[in-house]
Amino acid sequence: MNHDPYSWGRPSDETYGQYSDAIAHAPSFPKMNTQQPIVTGTSVISMKYNNGVIIAADHLGSYGSLLRFTDIERLFPVGKNTVVGISGDISDMQHIEALLEELETENNYDNSHADDEESLQPSYVFEYLATVMYQRRSKMNPLWNALIVAGVEDSKPFLKYVNLLGVTYSSPTLATGFGAHLAVPLLRRVVDRESDVEKTDMQTATDTILQAMKVLYYRDARSSRKFSMAIIDNDQGLVFNKELEVENMKWNFAKDIKGYGTQKV
Amino acid sequence: MNGIQVDINHLKKGEVSLGTSIMAVTFDGGVILGADSRTTTGAYIANRVTDKLTRIDDKIWCCRSGSAADTQAVADIVQYHLELYTSQYGTPSIETAAAVFKTLTYENKDALSAGIIVAGYDDKKKKGEVYSIPLGGSVHKQKYAIAGSGSAFIYGYCDKNYRENMNKEETVEFVKHSLSQAIKWDGSSGGVIRLVILTESGVERLIFYPDEYENL
Amino acid sequence: MTSVGTGYDLSNSVFSPDGRNFQVEYAAKAVENGATSVGLLCEDGVVLAVEKLVASKLLVKASPQNKGSGANTKIQTVGRHIGCACSGLVPDGRHLVNRAREESQQFKQLYKRDIPPVALADRMGQYVQAHTLYNSVRPFGVAAIFGGVDPETAEPHLYMLEPSGVYWGYRGAATGKGRQSAKAELEKLISSRDDNSPITTLEAVKELARIIYIAHEDNKEKEFEVEISWCSREHTQGKHTLVQGTMLEEALEYAKSKTSNAQDDSDDSDADSDDAMQD
Repeated sequence: MNHDPYSWGRPSDETYGQYSDAIAHAPSFPKMNTQQPIVTGTSVISMKYNNGVIIAADHLGSYGSLLRFTDIERLFPVGKNTVVGISGDISDMQHIEALLEELETENNYDNSHADDEESLQPSYVFEYLATVMYQRRSKMNPLWNALIVAGVEDSKPFLKYVNLLGVTYSSPTLATGFGAHLAVPLLRRVVDRESDVEKTDMQTATDTILQAMKVLYYRDARSSRKFSMAIIDNDQGLVFNKELEVENMKWNFAKDIKGYGTQKV
Repeated sequence: MNGIQVDINHLKKGEVSLGTSIMAVTFDGGVILGADSRTTTGAYIANRVTDKLTRIDDKIWCCRSGSAADTQAVADIVQYHLELYTSQYGTPSIETAAAVFKTLTYENKDALSAGIIVAGYDDKKKKGEVYSIPLGGSVHKQKYAIAGSGSAFIYGYCDKNYRENMNKEETVEFVKHSLSQAIKWDGSSGGVIRLVILTESGVERLIFYPDEYENL
Repeated sequence: MTSVGTGYDLSNSVFSPDGRNFQVEYAAKAVENGATSVGLLCEDGVVLAVEKLVASKLLVKASPQNKGSGANTKIQTVGRHIGCACSGLVPDGRHLVNRAREESQQFKQLYKRDIPPVALADRMGQYVQAHTLYNSVRPFGVAAIFGGVDPETAEPHLYMLEPSGVYWGYRGAATGKGRQSAKAELEKLISSRDDNSPITTLEAVKELARIIYIAHEDNKEKEFEVEISWCSREHTQGKHTLVQGTMLEEALEYAKSKTSNAQDDSDDSDADSDDAMQD
């Protein structure tokens, strides 16, 4: 049998109109799974310092312009020395969270060294996530996120990025979304190149990240005041603060601004 | 349309939808679910006495918003899953019910328009729980949740007036006032206000008519 | 055995005239000859222990220092909260646990909670039973003891699954070659306690080490090692964990001191046995 519906013959054009894809029940375009993000999380920002890395993300889940959920944690510890920061679609983020939990469970299987020599390292977690992200985009069904994997491996800071396209890169300062535009320039004032990491201590890096979060709260209309910050330090291990707020904002100068040019009162 | 060229997108456009006001609130003795009763196809009210509060398990209920067909289908499938679960492992937690809802809406996000609130009373933990599952299929545990087109108008009211550990009467008033405002400002919400109260002692239904709630 | 050799023992899916499935019974025989496994339900969790017959002197040795098991761990984990100890054909046990892990993962994906031990036992029971129905497959040559703490209820559970697919909940379970003496010891242990002084996992670790030593006494010529694991609400936060280090050392010391003809692990028996698969 000839399986091409166009050669089957058909009722007259007067009755049914021109023969079309719809009559053949054939889609006029291949199946598409690409979606759009619904509930979203904004930037994740991060930087290296001389003894580890810092990563931060706020607590907001936006629904379009509606600031719908205000208590979403977007930083996920994996093992003892890795933190994954996730921006983009929150349902896909929760899916990734479940994948990471499975990864940890499976690493534990038949492995009596899972909590030391053979524990999950940042580079393993990153390679896994980058593979998942690329596979999904290749199936035309991407996970609508940009991720940053931060951690300490072999006593050295680790920082790498992957997004919904499966694109990956690394840098001593990294940010997703709005942060890539607004925060990265601020972070680079402190750490511009790999050689600057050695000169930057934890305090300086923390101050820089806090300052960048403040600027993002000033300028990103989909950001919230509350945020989390994780420090993965080579000596102290994971220090995870989930109760931070943007502080020391300057609004006072607003009182001197009158009109939009020449107006004086 | 000539009888053969049936386009699913055409169907979706004319779909019966629950352009809704729904909410669920935890309180010291359990949880209260509330909803309006309007179902529309475009501007036409297809049903003015709809029941959008749906039983999944004895003390796990949900509020449905979005496509009526989609949410009914999803609720029926979840009910089936939980029946099976109950027969094998005993009463499911509210979180498990929410997880099954999530699996269905997340895996089929391209095909579904369903915004669901899952709420229940946990007899083991002796408390009410609320999970919000918006369009994409994410899950959010909340003290209280609002959803549907009418909810946009009451974010401020609910944020200001919700208190933790209210008693039953206070919570009923809170839900009634909130939905009254949502209905007042949302053309896609209306009719009666239906409540379901889930507590230790069981399930209780309340209904409020326009004459009662319009002039609160 | 009547009807043996009459053809009814050649296949699953064929009953003998007196209503038996011989293949399943032969599988149970494989278990009876396997190394001993025991499990004990405690007040705050469960403890599992296995006898590891050392099939060859060339194998890496277990010691409390090298994580209690060396390179050759026998007790396996399902999810984070359930432990599984098998007696019989080792590869069958490995396959069974792989399946159990898939079930555990699938359960969690759908229901967002760890699989309760009873649900796992039930699903594994169905899987094992299905292997008694078809002539194209062979039944599992293992008995598996599953134990763990249900994270939702915080209750400990212990189940034993047999080659027929049947499973029961136990307070103390034993299987393998030394099961008779192990069962007797478990019964003594359980009946020596009343509701006011239920046994704790901490005590059970030592007692099960002792029971493995006793169960090994009929099999003295073979060199062996002891592997112990536990799930405790308090001590392991409900997670299934191998007993290692000084805790294992103390348990082994206790076991040796309590068994009359305490043998040293490193006696010079020829351990290169021909039933290497049967541990």
